Amino acid sequence: MTADVIAQARAERRTLLSEIEAKQMLAAAGVNVTETRLAASADEAASHAAELGYPVALKVVSEAITHKTDVGGVELGIADESALRAAWDAIHARVAEASPGAELQGLSVQPMAEPGAEVILGITQDQQFGPVLMFGLGGVFVEVLKDVAFRIVPLEPRDASEMVREIQGFPVLEGFRGTPAANLDAIESMLLQLSEFAEANPDVAELDLNPVFARPDGAIAVDARILLTSDS
Amino acid sequence: MAVTRERLTRALAPKVVAVIGDKKASGYNWLRSMKEFDGPVYSVQVDENEIPGIEELGIPNYKSLTDIPDQVDFAVCAVPRQVAPFIVQGCVEANVGGVTLFTSGFAETGEEIGVELQNKIFEIADPSGLALIGPNCMGLHVPGLGVRFNRDQPAGVQGNIGFVSQSGTHGMNFSLTGAAQGLYCSTLVSFGNGIILEASDYLEYLADDPQTEVIGMYIEGARDGRRLFRTLREVAAKKPVIIWKGGQTEGGGRAIRSHTASLASDQAIWEAMIRQVGAVAVHNLDEMIDVVKATLLTKRTQGNRLGLIAMTGGQSVVLTDAFEKAGWKVPTLSDDSYAQLSEFFNIIGGSYRNPLDAAGTIGQDPKHLDTIFDILNADENIDAVGMELSATFMARRWQDKPEEFDRLINSIKRFRDESDKPFLAALHPSHVEEAALKARLRLQEEGIPTFPTFERAANALRKASTLSAV
Repeated sequence: MTADVIAQARAERRTLLSEIEAKQMLAAAGVNVTETRLAASADEAASHAAELGYPVALKVVSEAITHKTDVGGVELGIADESALRAAWDAIHARVAEASPGAELQGLSVQPMAEPGAEVILGITQDQQFGPVLMFGLGGVFVEVLKDVAFRIVPLEPRDASEMVREIQGFPVLEGFRGTPAANLDAIESMLLQLSEFAEANPDVAELDLNPVFARPDGAIAVDARILLTSDS
Repeated sequence: MAVTRERLTRALAPKVVAVIGDKKASGYNWLRSMKEFDGPVYSVQVDENEIPGIEELGIPNYKSLTDIPDQVDFAVCAVPRQVAPFIVQGCVEANVGGVTLFTSGFAETGEEIGVELQNKIFEIADPSGLALIGPNCMGLHVPGLGVRFNRDQPAGVQGNIGFVSQSGTHGMNFSLTGAAQGLYCSTLVSFGNGIILEASDYLEYLADDPQTEVIGMYIEGARDGRRLFRTLREVAAKKPVIIWKGGQTEGGGRAIRSHTASLASDQAIWEAMIRQVGAVAVHNLDEMIDVVKATLLTKRTQGNRLGLIAMTGGQSVVLTDAFEKAGWKVPTLSDDSYAQLSEFFNIIGGSYRNPLDAAGTIGQDPKHLDTIFDILNADENIDAVGMELSATFMARRWQDKPEEFDRLINSIKRFRDESDKPFLAALHPSHVEEAALKARLRLQEEGIPTFPTFERAANALRKASTLSAV
């Protein structure tokens, strides 16, 4: 499946995979992601949502759009079918205004995951050291404070454990002001899975899992972005 | 063809040395630097105008490497770049162990001719297994064998620090400034463009070298970063490795579309790599020297609680600040310690909470310092001991009454030998630099590590303690 996803993107001369494609690759590698399906119509979205179970999220799927939230392309916590149909129209209207002419493949439907501490896990390629992994807390921690830790692939279990504890914001994961403690083992396992994923997929130039919900009962990636290398 | 360990050992621990192309205009730097070499030194020079000057130095000169009646293990090549490929060819034919190409003007210039000449040298050297160091480098320094590239470098002293440097200047500065601090190299290599042998090759050699106890490295970039990462992981598990990364590599210039890629700066990745392999990062020459010194001369601790002995109240405060800022804790002592201290400590103008403001107490009776050391050694709240040696107050007195300084040194040595806890001292040169220098050199001879500031002492002990290899 992984090879198919990459082959198709290459055939279409795309380097950016859709969220759905990225999650297919990750799920095949054993990484815990929310199941995400593509809908070309509101009817199709409604039938996916009925199978996946409400509440759901709807997100725009377009090769032309990198940052979905910036164009109003995301609706979260949709409770039922009528809300789903309203959200479908609302997203299309907003995207048409913010990004006129952008071709849409459709919208993705996925169940709302139970929230937890938001963390980011990522892969990038370093010119000298090859694939490297990143870990940090999500949101403002990563964007403003740049509070992240890196390790060179392949990671040993000790590396995963150390990088989780290296960030300044680590106490947040241990439970902070009523937020439950995150399952650190689950985060470390996901880092080790990504290390293997990076080794097995040299075509992956960049990957963001952002956010991953780190909960007491485990960790799940609710958004995923993969950029392929531009050569080959 | 890879350079074999046997060939590399011949080059880095030579029995016979040759210098090719040294001349009067450069003050015969290479030949003079080899004056203390523990074995035969030959010169190769074809210029009739240069030969008499070389022979006046008492060094036999030959017109060609193959004319030398000995098997040369290590050669230094200081010829112009156009001639360098022929010399390398000569080294191959004469079965020289290895050669340092001091010659520069190759790929580092970015010129087409430089790149071509470098490729030519590579093509000659690579199939032969010649241990080629450089080009564009200072090469080899082995004080134990008297191999030097600068006449101020030490000779006749067996050091224990392996040093690998991409830069000749930083390698030389480490060997010179380090020696002034009592720190000597086992083997130092400046490898410049590193076209045949690169950092990883030298690291592997030093990891196996029985003389080398700790390894320092100055590096700007890696030709094979994956190999460097794997090599460092293995080497740092065997011996402490301290890495000074200079410069910032330019980004790839590609369009970056993820948070991960945008945050992965060159510096962030190098620092992560260094931590991951179990080495420690430093950022300048002084810090390199400090951490090497602490690694060699202090014991390690997993703990972070410090007992501090200061000479005044004001210094107690900033001493504590400096160590706490570097990640140390300066905790209260045990009840038992306080009970013992209360029996003799002079609290008029002093204090024994921790830090111990102890000048008055020690001044009253020097034996009190031994008692303080014993109390700190036994105290379960304390993992390491730091001490202020105040040149401001004491350096002149130590000169006038050397027996007082001897007593101090004996107290420190007794503690160091009896306790498992690391010890280090801060000795600022103050207004009495000469007297303070004499004191420092004496402490150095006794193997007692001193640092010029509290901040440097605190940082050095912290970094040395994080090294994974013991």
